[in-house]
Amino acid sequence: MGREVAESCIDGVIIEMVSAYCKRFYATKPELAARRIEAIGYQVGHQLIERYTVERPRFSDHLEAIKFICKDFWSELFKKQIDNLKTNHRGTFVLQDNRFRWLTRVSIDPSLDISEASQDSSAVTPENKAAEATSMHLYFPCGIIRGALSNLGIPCAVSADISNLPACSFVVRVKA
Amino acid sequence: MQFFSGSSAVDISPSPAAPPGTASGLSGNNANMLYIFNRSGVCLLYREWHRPLRTLDANQDQKLMFGLLFSLRSFTAKMDPTSVDKGNLGVPLLPGQGCSFYSFRTNTYKLSFMESPSGIKLILITHPKTSDHQESLKHIYNLYVEYVVKNPLYVPGTPIKSELFDTNLDQYVKTLI
Repeated sequence: MGREVAESCIDGVIIEMVSAYCKRFYATKPELAARRIEAIGYQVGHQLIERYTVERPRFSDHLEAIKFICKDFWSELFKKQIDNLKTNHRGTFVLQDNRFRWLTRVSIDPSLDISEASQDSSAVTPENKAAEATSMHLYFPCGIIRGALSNLGIPCAVSADISNLPACSFVVRVKA
Repeated sequence: MQFFSGSSAVDISPSPAAPPGTASGLSGNNANMLYIFNRSGVCLLYREWHRPLRTLDANQDQKLMFGLLFSLRSFTAKMDPTSVDKGNLGVPLLPGQGCSFYSFRTNTYKLSFMESPSGIKLILITHPKTSDHQESLKHIYNLYVEYVVKNPLYVPGTPIKSELFDTNLDQYVKTLI
């Protein structure tokens, strides 16, 4: 279907997009940068889900739609499926990817002085900054999921959790 | 010389077989170090696995190494008996073009060198009896591309501080020593 692009180009564009929004356009307002990046993801997810569901009938319920996201949609985007799906059957879903493709190469400075950092926990340690920078990169995939689901008729809010890289969990809360 | 390995995600192509003569437990003053410089001479990485003697402090050592290799490259290109056009000396060459310096050997160590078209210089110091390390240097360059260049947190032109890169590099170099 159409032409192909090298994956390193996509990786490069995404890294540069996040970097441009965080360091140049909204350097003093990280919340605005985050919202813009998430909005871009929303558009992308919106359009992608159109492409990937063009021959399918409608989804019977929310769970079917989420399962589609976990299997087919995720395979199209990241060449693998979501490893673990949890739900509380009341509108909250947790999608866990044990090796999120866009975060496989994120790596911090191994020589950080942990003992110094713990003494002054209120200060911004290099470890915190790395975690902050990494979380900026998650707004884009969250936006993609949100855009995909809203185009399927499921308004929701999506957040991400990176307590253990390279595994990544996306929490989807469907709006009632 | 192929620089773009075309590997997917982080499936680095399997490491090339270590050149004969390595890992044979040759003891003695077996030095083993790696330097990585970028185009403007900033030392991105200096790792040592074994170094019996240090003569200069780290900064001077790195400056000396960079200057030496810069001059050696120009010298070998100028003395090249096979080509007439010396082209643009001092600029990184495309693979297959011009005359590229590979290694020099003394009675106590062997220094292998590789420069990518983007100006990244890799210098590996090993035991003198090992054979050519061009494949190894290419593999290390691939590791660099995968874990450093594609790391969203890395700022190009600054020293490399990446745990993933260090781990993989150590793993690979252990097979060479």
